[in-house]
Amino acid sequence: MKLARTIRSGTALLACALASLAMGAQARPTANSPLASPPDGMTRQVAPRAALVGATVHVRPGEQMEDAVVLIEHGEIRRVVPRAEYDRMARPGGTIEVDYTGRHIYAGFIEAYLPVRAPGVDSSAVGAHWNEGVTPHRRALDGSAPNARDRDNLRKMGFTAAHLVPDQGVFRGRTALISLADPRSDSSHEPPAVYRDGFADAVAFERNTRRGGYPSSHMGAVALIRQVLADADWQRRTRQTGDFTGGPDAIDELADANRPLFFDIEREMTTLHAADIASEFKRNAIIVGNGMEFKWLEAIAAENLPVIVPLRFPRAPDVSGFGEADSTDLERLMEWEQAPTNPRRLAEAGVKTAITSAKRIRGAGNLHNDLRSAVRHGLSADDALAMLTTNPAEILGAADRLGSVERGRRANLVVTDRPLFVGPSRILDVWTEGERHVIATDDVGAMAGVYEVNFRGEPRGTLTITRRPRVTLEDGDVKTRAEKVSIDGDRLSYTVKEHDGSVAIATAQRRGTTLHGTLMIPDGRTFSWTAVRVGDAPDDERDREERGPGEIPDLKGYPFGPYAVEEKPQQRRAIFTNATIWTASEAGTIENGVLAIDGGKIAFVGTRSAFNRSAASRWNNAERFDLEGRHIAPGFVDAHSHTGTFALGVNEGTQAVTSEVRIADAVDSSHINWYRQLAGGVTTVNTLHGSANPIGGQSLTQKVRWGSRHPRDMHMDGATPGIKFALGENVKQSNWGDTATTRYPQTRMGVETIMRDRFHAAQRYEEERRRGGRRNLELEALAEVLRGDRLIHCHSYRQDEILMLCLLAKEFGITIGTFQHGLEVYKVAEAVREAAIGASIFSDWWNFKVEVWDAIPYAGPLQHEVGVNTSFNSDSDELARRMHAEGAKAVKYSGGRVSPEEAIKFVTINAAVQLGIGDRVGSLEAGKDADFVIWSGSPLSTLSRAESTWIDGAEYFSLEMDREHRKRIASERRRLIQKILAGPPSEREEKKDEEQEKKEEAETPDPDRSLRARMLAQERALVRERMLEALNANRDPTLDSCGVCGCSEFHFIKQTFGN
Amino acid sequence: MAEMNLRARLAAALCAVALWQGAAAQDLTRSAPPQQTGIAITNARIHTMAGRVIERGHVMFQDGVITAVEAGDPPSRYAGVRIDAQGSHIYPGMIAASTRLGLIEISAVRATRDFAETGDIAPEVRAWVSVNPDSVMFPVTRSNGVLIAGSFPAGGLIQGQASILRMDGWTTEDMTIEPSMGLVISWPQMRPVDAWWMDQRADEQRRRRDERLRTLNNFFDEAAAYDALRREDSGHPVDVSLEAMRRFLPTADDQLPVIVRCADVDQINAAVAWAAERDLRLIILGGRDAPLAADLLKEHDVPVIITGTYAFPKRDDSPYDDAFTLPLRLEEAGVRWCLAPKGGNEASDVRNLPYEAALAAAHGLDPEIAMKGVTIYAAEIMGIADRYGTIEPGKSATLIITDGNPLEMMTNVELAFIDGRTIDLHNKQRELRDKYREKYRQLGIIED
Repeated sequence: MKLARTIRSGTALLACALASLAMGAQARPTANSPLASPPDGMTRQVAPRAALVGATVHVRPGEQMEDAVVLIEHGEIRRVVPRAEYDRMARPGGTIEVDYTGRHIYAGFIEAYLPVRAPGVDSSAVGAHWNEGVTPHRRALDGSAPNARDRDNLRKMGFTAAHLVPDQGVFRGRTALISLADPRSDSSHEPPAVYRDGFADAVAFERNTRRGGYPSSHMGAVALIRQVLADADWQRRTRQTGDFTGGPDAIDELADANRPLFFDIEREMTTLHAADIASEFKRNAIIVGNGMEFKWLEAIAAENLPVIVPLRFPRAPDVSGFGEADSTDLERLMEWEQAPTNPRRLAEAGVKTAITSAKRIRGAGNLHNDLRSAVRHGLSADDALAMLTTNPAEILGAADRLGSVERGRRANLVVTDRPLFVGPSRILDVWTEGERHVIATDDVGAMAGVYEVNFRGEPRGTLTITRRPRVTLEDGDVKTRAEKVSIDGDRLSYTVKEHDGSVAIATAQRRGTTLHGTLMIPDGRTFSWTAVRVGDAPDDERDREERGPGEIPDLKGYPFGPYAVEEKPQQRRAIFTNATIWTASEAGTIENGVLAIDGGKIAFVGTRSAFNRSAASRWNNAERFDLEGRHIAPGFVDAHSHTGTFALGVNEGTQAVTSEVRIADAVDSSHINWYRQLAGGVTTVNTLHGSANPIGGQSLTQKVRWGSRHPRDMHMDGATPGIKFALGENVKQSNWGDTATTRYPQTRMGVETIMRDRFHAAQRYEEERRRGGRRNLELEALAEVLRGDRLIHCHSYRQDEILMLCLLAKEFGITIGTFQHGLEVYKVAEAVREAAIGASIFSDWWNFKVEVWDAIPYAGPLQHEVGVNTSFNSDSDELARRMHAEGAKAVKYSGGRVSPEEAIKFVTINAAVQLGIGDRVGSLEAGKDADFVIWSGSPLSTLSRAESTWIDGAEYFSLEMDREHRKRIASERRRLIQKILAGPPSEREEKKDEEQEKKEEAETPDPDRSLRARMLAQERALVRERMLEALNANRDPTLDSCGVCGCSEFHFIKQTFGN
Repeated sequence: MAEMNLRARLAAALCAVALWQGAAAQDLTRSAPPQQTGIAITNARIHTMAGRVIERGHVMFQDGVITAVEAGDPPSRYAGVRIDAQGSHIYPGMIAASTRLGLIEISAVRATRDFAETGDIAPEVRAWVSVNPDSVMFPVTRSNGVLIAGSFPAGGLIQGQASILRMDGWTTEDMTIEPSMGLVISWPQMRPVDAWWMDQRADEQRRRRDERLRTLNNFFDEAAAYDALRREDSGHPVDVSLEAMRRFLPTADDQLPVIVRCADVDQINAAVAWAAERDLRLIILGGRDAPLAADLLKEHDVPVIITGTYAFPKRDDSPYDDAFTLPLRLEEAGVRWCLAPKGGNEASDVRNLPYEAALAAAHGLDPEIAMKGVTIYAAEIMGIADRYGTIEPGKSATLIITDGNPLEMMTNVELAFIDGRTIDLHNKQRELRDKYREKYRQLGIIED
């Protein structure tokens, strides 16, 4: 290593020597790296040092040095010093000096998420995991990305390092942080530096798109991740103890619990699932999100995880026509307005955030436009810089080498003409590992200015060249605007129109501050001229900067969208008088009754006189509601719901047994249908897995607490766990088309035997676990069933299969929770009343498939009479809004044997009992949860409507609150549509370009898009076709969605595409 | 048990033993013979749906036709059968303007699906031709008081002709009130759909829309040309499809309507303009956005068949009762409408039609108007109001006797008459109920 030629200061020498030594210890391979290729032709010796002189150096966010010098040596930043100090310093030989006067230098940006194709691992290879998506032993570095073009593109945006993340699969492999330098062109021929290999394990909730490929649902992916992490931990432990002696395998790769899990998130809500998994298995997690985190901000911020976000700013919805405007959801308008605030909101919430250029809607070239947009939407320039530099450096554990312009950091730099983020600016140079890449030359900037013109020896006014660029000639009173201005390198040319319409051409060559020009007038004669720069031209580029976004309203309340609730409903201490109270208990229906609630519980239910006798005085200071003859009934308990599960998949319909999956991992508490059901008086639901397999997933009992900040807020704590079983046509794939004929079982006979088989396995499992066997999530749930800790809710239709399960349950000593649908329970009611807590059935659906041929609306009352606890359920987001009419069917079809007092129980307490929560909800009795509904009339009348719905003693819905929502929605719609219509033309022009872009997209596959396409599993692809079919038939496609009837999901697919 | 009592009274009166044997299975429910003797139902509250409610009155009918609707008792000299319906109500039989009844049995079984012909253009197919009179759905539907239904084909662009059926008859001919109610057309989506499941680009969708509209227009042009040709030359070879079109053209003596399936405001506006230009009689089927086009619909007197209130709101931010209030909003806007059951593949839920009307009533519509929406309003739009839809002298004796307001779930139909014929209200479902009641009687679990 050469030392400085002249030494002015001993201290400097010492510092230099130390720095050099330190660098030698930690830097990338040096010139004699074994990785370097042999020289090709002449061996070149490239200057090892550079001095970048005169720029404003943004050392780190919030800290800058004017007129400073950055000293680089062997790819590392040696020092950053003021120019004055630099001038006093020795200039070591081999130093390239670059004049960056007036420029800005930033630390090189770090692309925290660069998805790359890593070579696959053959799933039949020795040591491979059974699931083709579990390939934690893949390496990002084994792929060929990023290639020279990718690196070039990333550098153009200012990125100098990238975190490579393998794409595809569930456990996708090990990530790596690398330099975006090109292989060295100097004597060393070194490959680019790898800053960190195997930094994190990439994970995604990816669904398998192969038919029958597991997992086909999000919850299946969650289960698979949990199982694999449990296995990895178990394997590590048992290897240490010597209990496990198998050869090395794929799972071993996950043994290092210190390595973070790097979750690639497609839907913002599932960030919370990633956080849950990380905390369950005590791992660190990093999230790469989808840019919509603001929708769940409070919950996501509370997880305290670093988040990498794309700038995913949707285009303005097309509201240019009445039909367009009227069919645009308010939520889409809000999304458009709010998405650019996502980075700002994350920063405000204290989330460690980085920005990625991946996963974007618009082309990557617009990253800086979107960054400026984010800044106009309130993100501070410092935060923006942090999100590209220091934050990703910290998140990726490389803050000692990357992210700031300081001694010891790698010489990765971005040089711009003006400050970034706040106005127009251009990246001119990018430095990687001490190597300069010219991104853009500032020809116009160099040329711009006010010049004094000298024409044929005479001063002839001034020439003004602006950045746009525009050229104006001013001579005395005459002001001429030049046309056809072109600045190409140091060459200027423009034309000037004469009065007669003829045109003169001027060209000039710049040398320093002087222009040497030639003028050719229309008659062909030419003249020379010169001009000398005397000052700066006005900056006309800033004027062009897009307008600000105007005032962006704060996000108030949850869930994000039209019906957000600002304040969490409060528990009240209140009495309701002058009401007809349907208690759904032995007390029957009480005329002129009083209901008193306190602390979320019912304190009193009874007649006015009983109230006056016993309790009245204690309620003097409570709120009072005179209901003027209205009715109060318990909130409805819907024992069969799939609300909010559609988007993430309601069925893990791939394997015959999937007891390891949890429907809780699919529920979206922000789905609008919760609100609509609340408006229909539903307060508690049993959310079930679909019916695609004999043993499905674990169910979830929820209260419809609209406005939840976290999906978990809706869970009913302490409710008896349940699990979905299913029998008949769906599980034997009768309606899946003619090709689905190989999965066991294909007959009702096989349904019985596979259940028996798994029960035996669960019995053995309990035994093995006691002896230290590995955890098996599938059998764990079934062992809970055998212990009586988890209730079976079994989709069923025909009497033979219902009887089968009764007998099987008896064989294993289980009490069944419910037969769901159970449309022929009425034929074997005497067996069901012994074997199950009850049956939760459709009131009157029938005849849409063969196994419901004998379904009758008389079933409910009849089996009730025989002694089966019976409830009516919805299995439909649409039907769930009008369960009061369902209850009335128990009266209608009973021939007078079921009274209204009894019928109301079919939709309240009976369902609660079936779910093991009969002691808490479902009837109005002192001590139970204050979940009730105020009705305009009888809750069994088809002419009544729910006026107010209470859960845990708090009012979650009322017609009055609904009116307020409607008012606000109407005004927000108006405001946002106006904002789009009156918005800056750029928005509108973009819209015009969209079609063209879509065409291009279709022609050039965008990796991000194809990634999303893969995420659409088979199941969803079929749903899509179904939707299209409905649309073409002018039916409302959403009415046919599985959100309406999860259990007949495969049935409706069959309807359209079967045979 | 009012039902048994009233039926027993009727049995005694008519000596109609056949009524009580019950049906052993779906196809064994008996169709009723023509009315043989005059019948007077007395002592009932009569909801004529023609503007008045008679608190205590009687309805007399002879040979299937109503002869008197009056307060008080029939003349003492009345020679027909008297049925004392004290405490009961009389309503016109309910009418489900658009269903898939008769064209489908079990939707999951392809062999039982007869509602969609192949291809885009099938004006020649008529629903009534393939109605299975022994469908289990007819007895179930009529036992809840829905006595008349439009049966609609589906499928491509021009889907075929809807037929009007009575819910009783030995043959499909017996059941057919009108073989053609109108020509069913599915209007293309006017605007590109932008949703995750839409795989066509916007320009592709627009192109497809234009192609479909061109196909539609070309076919109507062809039909007009063919019609003129046939008028000039009756010996011109018959084109079955174009021949079928002639009844819907303005040149027809008794022009029948085109029934256009559409929901969106742009579709409705386009369909109305199209029909007006071609002098076609238009009915909108679906009509979710019809209130947004109310003035246009009124101006051209275009009625709307609402396909159910059991539907989701248009947008996520729409009022939760958006679909429930559609009848109310059309009523208030002065657009003619009626209410049919919700759309979809099934025909098994048609019996619940009155409760879809009730939902509209619960959300602001006058219950009387709601009931009209499933009786006279439907008859008017279907073109059978001269015979059906109200209880008035001269009209068909197609009516129901109930123990309450049919809009109320708990109300039951006690008796039903179609064209004066006494309808068997038994059905397969009741038979199954009785069969298994017998089982539990044998087991000693229940007594009666």
